[in-house]
Amino acid sequence: MSQQVAEPKVAVKLNEEYCSRCSICRSLCPFEAITKDAESGKIVLEIEKCQVCGICYSACPARAIDIIYYDYGSLLNYLKTAEPKYGSDTLVIMCRGSAPDFAGVERLFGVSKFIPLSVPCVGRLPEELLLQALAMGIKKIYLLACDANYCRFDRGSPLTGRRILALNRLLEQLGYGREAITLKRNGLKVKVNKDLCIACGNCVFYCPYHAAKLESPGGLSFDLDACRGCGLCVAICPAIALDLENWERERISALISQLLSEMKTPKILVFRCQWAVFPPLDGESSPNIRAIDLPCSARVDAFHILEALQKGADGVLIAACPEEDCRQEGVSARAQHLVEALRERLNQIGFQDRLYFCSVAPRYPEQLDKELRQFGQRIEAVVSKRERK
Amino acid sequence: MIVTTQKPLDEILDSISPYSKILVAGCDGCTQPPRGLREAKVLSQLLELAGKLGGKDFQFKVTTVVKQCDSFLTASALKPQMDGVEAVLSLACGAGPQTIAGLFPDIPVLPAQNSHFVGVEDREGGILEESCAACGDCILALTGGICPVTRCAKGLLNGACGGARNGKCELDPERDCAWELIFERLERQGKLDRIKELRPPRNYQARAWRVAP
Repeated sequence: MSQQVAEPKVAVKLNEEYCSRCSICRSLCPFEAITKDAESGKIVLEIEKCQVCGICYSACPARAIDIIYYDYGSLLNYLKTAEPKYGSDTLVIMCRGSAPDFAGVERLFGVSKFIPLSVPCVGRLPEELLLQALAMGIKKIYLLACDANYCRFDRGSPLTGRRILALNRLLEQLGYGREAITLKRNGLKVKVNKDLCIACGNCVFYCPYHAAKLESPGGLSFDLDACRGCGLCVAICPAIALDLENWERERISALISQLLSEMKTPKILVFRCQWAVFPPLDGESSPNIRAIDLPCSARVDAFHILEALQKGADGVLIAACPEEDCRQEGVSARAQHLVEALRERLNQIGFQDRLYFCSVAPRYPEQLDKELRQFGQRIEAVVSKRERK
Repeated sequence: MIVTTQKPLDEILDSISPYSKILVAGCDGCTQPPRGLREAKVLSQLLELAGKLGGKDFQFKVTTVVKQCDSFLTASALKPQMDGVEAVLSLACGAGPQTIAGLFPDIPVLPAQNSHFVGVEDREGGILEESCAACGDCILALTGGICPVTRCAKGLLNGACGGARNGKCELDPERDCAWELIFERLERQGKLDRIKELRPPRNYQARAWRVAP
C-alpha cells in the first residue's frame, strides 16, 4: 500500500495555463524565487525561496499568479466594510514593518480619522486597488512605506516610489488634483534613555546592524540610519534603558491587558513576528486566541510574556521566522534562545508547557494553525487539571 | 567582573517564604551576566507567579543599585525605599547582601545569586571564564598575560606539568593547558627564555583581606 503524504498548502501559486511566459514576475522577484526552465521555457516558482511579498502577483499581466493573502478581492472587501466602520474618506496604507499606532499616523500625516490598512509590503499592492478606492469615494490615500534601506522585500519600497509618481500624474490628468496619493517612508527606531544606561555594552554586541556605539560611560549612541527597528536590544537591555519608537513597552502592556480581558478560557496569547505570520484582514475569530504583532520576534520581551501569564493568560505562544528566513540577520535564533531560557525558569516554578516557541513561514499558511491546535490541546490539559484541583 | 549564577527558583522561594513585602535589588555593577533592573523585575514576576500557584501573595518592590559593594551608594539608593520592607532579595555577588545587611541590621537580606569567580566574558562563545584569583601577587608580566593561578587546573607557577595532551589539560579535556598557552605566547613575543626562570612558591601572605584605598 502506498502512503500518501499530503502536500502542504502554499501561499503563492503560478498557474501554468494562464502564464504567457513574459518573465515580468521573474525580473521583479527580489528573492530569485522565479526562474525560467531552460528546456521547456516554462516559468517556475520555487516556494521555498518565496517570501510572499506579492510583488509578482500585482505585476502579472495575465493574472496567472494566485496569492492567499491580501489578494485584490479581499482588499476590496476590506475597504467596503472598513469605510463605514471608520467613518472616514482618508485611507492610510502602511507597510507592516513601519506601521506606527494611530497617534503615530496622526503625527506623520496630520490626519486624525482614517481607514487603516497594513500589508506586508506597500509595493505589492495592485494599482487597480488604489484607483478603485478613489472610485469608491476615498478622497485621499496616504502610503507609508519602509525606508528604502530597510525594505525587507528589497525592491518593494523603491518600486512603490516610481509607481506612485506615474499614478499621480495620471490622476492629475483625470482631475484628482496634484497629489491624490501621498507616499512617505518610515521605520521603527530605537530610543535611548541615557539616564538609565549602565554602559554594559550588550546592545553594542548584539545589534545585528552595528548601530549601537558605546565609547564612554553615559556615551551610548545609536546610528539611526543603521537601526532597522528589530527590537532585540530593547528586549535584552539589562537596565531597561531602551525602547522602540512607536512600539513602546507601555503600548504592548496595554494591548496585553485589553486582549486578555476580551478572551475566553483557555486563553492563548500569541506574539507574532510580523514577517512570520500574515494575518487575515478580518482578524482573529476564536475567542480563546489573540495575537500581538511585533516588528520581529527579537522584540519578544520576558516582561511581556510574564505579564501575560500574571494577567491570566493560560498559554503564551511565540511565532517567529525560521532562522534561514529571518529578515533581521538571524536574530530569530537569539529570540528562541531567550524564550527557551525563560521557559526553563517557568518550568522550575510549576508553569510547565505554558510557553512555547515555534518557527513558521507565511509561505505555508496552515503552519501556525497546526502549531496553535497542538499548543491549544496542551493548554486545555493544563487548565482542566487546574480546575479539577 | 564577578560572575554569578542565579540560585534555583525553589531555593529563592523557600528563603523568601516567611515574608510578604520584599524589595528586589538588582546591581548595575560588575555582576555578570548583568543583574540590573530588568533581571530584578523578571525575577519578581516569576516569584509572584510561583507565589500565586502556592497560594501566597508576595508584594515586590523592584529597584537597582549602581554597585551594591559600595556601602555609601547602596545606602543612598535603598534608604528611601525601605519603608515597610520585610526582607531584601539581592541580585548582587556575595558582597552585595553583606553591604545591605550591614546597613539595615534589622532586616533579613537574602541572596538570589551564587557567586563563582572573577572572570572574563567571551561574548562570541557565550561563556564566562575565571581569570583572576585575587591572589595578591600578580605574575602576569612573567607569563605573557595568562594567569596560571586560575587557568592551570593545578595552579602551577612553574609549568607545564607534562600531563597535557594535544594542548588540553589532563584533568579536563575541555580545558586548554594554561602553560602551553603561556609557552606559545612567550615564543611569539620572543621571550621564551622567561619560561626557564624559576618562580618561587606563591606568597600566600600576600593575600590581603583589607586594604586602604
